[in-house]
This record gives sequence, C-alpha cells and structure tokens, in this order.
Amino acid sequence: MAFRNTSARAKLLAALLIVTFTVLLPRRPDVLYLIPATVLVLLWPLCRMPLVYAVRRLFVAEFFILGIAFLALVAPASTPIFLSTLLKSNLCVFTMLLLTWTTPFQDVLQELRRLRFPPVMLTTLALMYRYLPVLAEESRRMSRARASRTFSRRRFAAWQNLSLIIGQLFVRSADRAERIYLAMCARGWK
Amino acid sequence: MRTAVEIRELSYRYPQNGRLALDQLSFSVAEDECIGLLGPNGAGKSTLLLHLNGLLPERFRATPNVWIAGEPVGPKNLEPVRQRVGLLFQDPDDQLISATVFEDVAFGPRQLGVQGAILNSLVEQCLAQVGLSGFGDRQAHRLSHGEKRRVCLAGVLACKPSVLVLDEPTSDLDPRGRREFKALLQTLPGAKIIATHDLELVADLCSRVVILDEGKLVAEGPTVKLLSNEELMLAHGLEKPHSLLHRHPHGPAA
Repeated sequence: MAFRNTSARAKLLAALLIVTFTVLLPRRPDVLYLIPATVLVLLWPLCRMPLVYAVRRLFVAEFFILGIAFLALVAPASTPIFLSTLLKSNLCVFTMLLLTWTTPFQDVLQELRRLRFPPVMLTTLALMYRYLPVLAEESRRMSRARASRTFSRRRFAAWQNLSLIIGQLFVRSADRAERIYLAMCARGWK
Repeated sequence: MRTAVEIRELSYRYPQNGRLALDQLSFSVAEDECIGLLGPNGAGKSTLLLHLNGLLPERFRATPNVWIAGEPVGPKNLEPVRQRVGLLFQDPDDQLISATVFEDVAFGPRQLGVQGAILNSLVEQCLAQVGLSGFGDRQAHRLSHGEKRRVCLAGVLACKPSVLVLDEPTSDLDPRGRREFKALLQTLPGAKIIATHDLELVADLCSRVVILDEGKLVAEGPTVKLLSNEELMLAHGLEKPHSLLHRHPHGPAA
C-alpha cells in the first residue's frame, strides 16, 4: 500500500504541517481552505483509505466538533467562526485519519518520543490506546447486561439506560485507573 | 531456612469508610516456601498483598509491620522492596499496560535501568519461561485471558523478584489454562504467596495455608490438615477440596 513504507517521521511531520497550516487559516470561510482540502483529496486515493472507514470515524468526531462549533454561535456575528471551526476541525480530523490509516500507532508514538514530546503526554496517549478496547468491551458487557433486564421499549428507558451505562463506565474507569496505577507502582514506576 | 516475608501486628483501616480491613495480623513466610492465603470475599486478602509491595498503607507508621528479607518496608526503601516482591494482580488488564507484549515485559526492567541487548534477551528469556516465546510483537488487547496472565507473570519475573505474590492467579481461566498455569507456578523458584479461592491449586502447590476472615488470622498450619477440617472450612466460607474428599486411604496422611 502506498505510504505504508514511507518513514513514520515523514508522515507525522507532514500531518503536523497540514494541521498547523489549517489551524492558522483565517476565522472565516476563505478560498485558502481549498489548499489543505486539495492536498487531502489528492492524498486520499494514494493512501487507499476506504470511504466507510473515514465516514464512520468522522461521524463519531462530528458530535464533538459540532458541540464546540455551536459554542461559537453564542457570540454576536459568529456564523463565519462557526463555519470556519467546522471546516478546520473536519480537515484536521481527516488529516489524522490518513496518518493513522497509513502508520501503526506504535510508530507514531515512537516518532513523537524521538521528537522529544513530553513523556507524560506520551504515557497518557499510550495508555489511552491500550485501554480503549478494554473500555469498549466493558461498556458492551454492561449494555448487554442492562438489555437483558430491560423490558420496556420506550425510548426514554433506552436513554435512561445509556446514561446509567455512561455513568457507570466513568466510575469503573476511575477505579480501574487506580488499580492500573498501583500495578505500575508495583513494577517500579515513579 | 531464612525468612522471606515477616508480618507483625499489621492492622489497616480503609480511609474511605473507616472499616477495619486487617486486624493485628502476624505470620511469616520462609524462603522457597509456598503458602496459600485463603478466606471468603472481603476477608482482606488483596489488601494484605498490597502491603507486601509497599502499595499500602498510604502513610507509613513509625514502627514497621512488614519485613521483606529482613528489611522493613517503609517510604525509604520502596524501590528495592518492589523489585524483590513481584505482585501479580487479579485482573490482567490492570497490569498489562503497554500496547505490545515486549513493551509490557520490558516495563519493569526499564525502571531498573536495564536497556539495549540485555533488555531484549531478558524479555525473551522471561517470555520463554512462561511459554510465550516469540510473542513479543503481539498486541496486548488481542491476547486470550490466559495469555494475558502469562504476559503479566513474565513482566513480574523480568524484575527478578525473590518473593512472588499472586492474587487469584487462576480465576477466569479454563481448566486447561488453570492446569498449565499451575504447572508453570511449580517451576518458579523463591517464596510464593497465593491468595485464591482455588483450593485444588492450594492443595497441590502450598505446604502451608493462612486463613483470614474479617481481617483476622483465624487459622494457620499445614495445608492438608487445615483443608481437611470441614468445620473450619465451612465456618469461613470455604469447603474441603475434592482432591482431599477422595484421597486414597493409603495415601499421604491428613
């Protein structure tokens, strides 16, 4: 696959360059936005990232992007800022999708380490990558267990269940974080 | 034989609710001895194990209550204590923190300053010891439960501990996994403290057991003698293991 063999450093630096350029664009819809958009559209077929893969992940990110963009609408005359936030965020997320599709996460971390990123940030990223599947599995188990004891088809009950699961997941994650910390200390972590 | 672990009048109260978790516990473990720590849920077994590694109490008292190889566990010697006492946690997902098997086994030795070719060979040696040669590049979240537990054990062994402390090492393992893990534990040298509900494991591996209930030490003695005492076992949420129920009349004496 194209770019799979390109060095992780080159891909990471290119991605950071695109993100930095996009973030520094004016806070209104502008023709300059076409520059990163064109670069990404040209890179996409070369990376052979499937459309469904990209759309699914963008869809998940969209909730957070919209949440932040809507905050801009509170201020007067803010439509340009709202639109530029939408554009910038989507372009940046898409850049990261291309990077993660072509580069194993471990390689990204290794390169960040070589570029002397703060160790605390790298540890956080590494732990996040390790524990996301664990949390996903835990939420799946909880939601299955809830569903097995849910006898109502009312939408309100479903939302209520979801909120309970999210709450429980937070509590369990905090407990797990405590246990992980103890396990790290047991092996000499300072 | 020298003492590997010594516990004297150890008490601990949970800071969250003030409940007494450990109440004046005293016992010791000799080098190369394997003891079983038994008791019902909530008896204080896991809390006791955290004390052996210096993870509890949150604030150390002026007089120590735990000694490892003759050295008191205190704030000044936590690093050597944690190197000497290898703690295997109940849930392997808590302990397996790195994305790949190699990185996880290397986690402890790296803290001890081991690097380069020595680190690579140490990791490979520990993986071979737990029967997972060539697993270094595997993703941690793709492993089976039994494999995760073995990787955790390899990560503990990589720190070259003299005391192994195992919290429910066979829980969630299928019978084959349990059998293999038991055989693996039998090959490991050094003192071992196994907190478990798996009484068959205790009957096979441990020469002595310590029974806790509500934070108190209620019985201590030779494994077969204590596990055969049905009254004692039932009084503390345990039961006589099958292997002792069906023991041959001309076999080893109870």
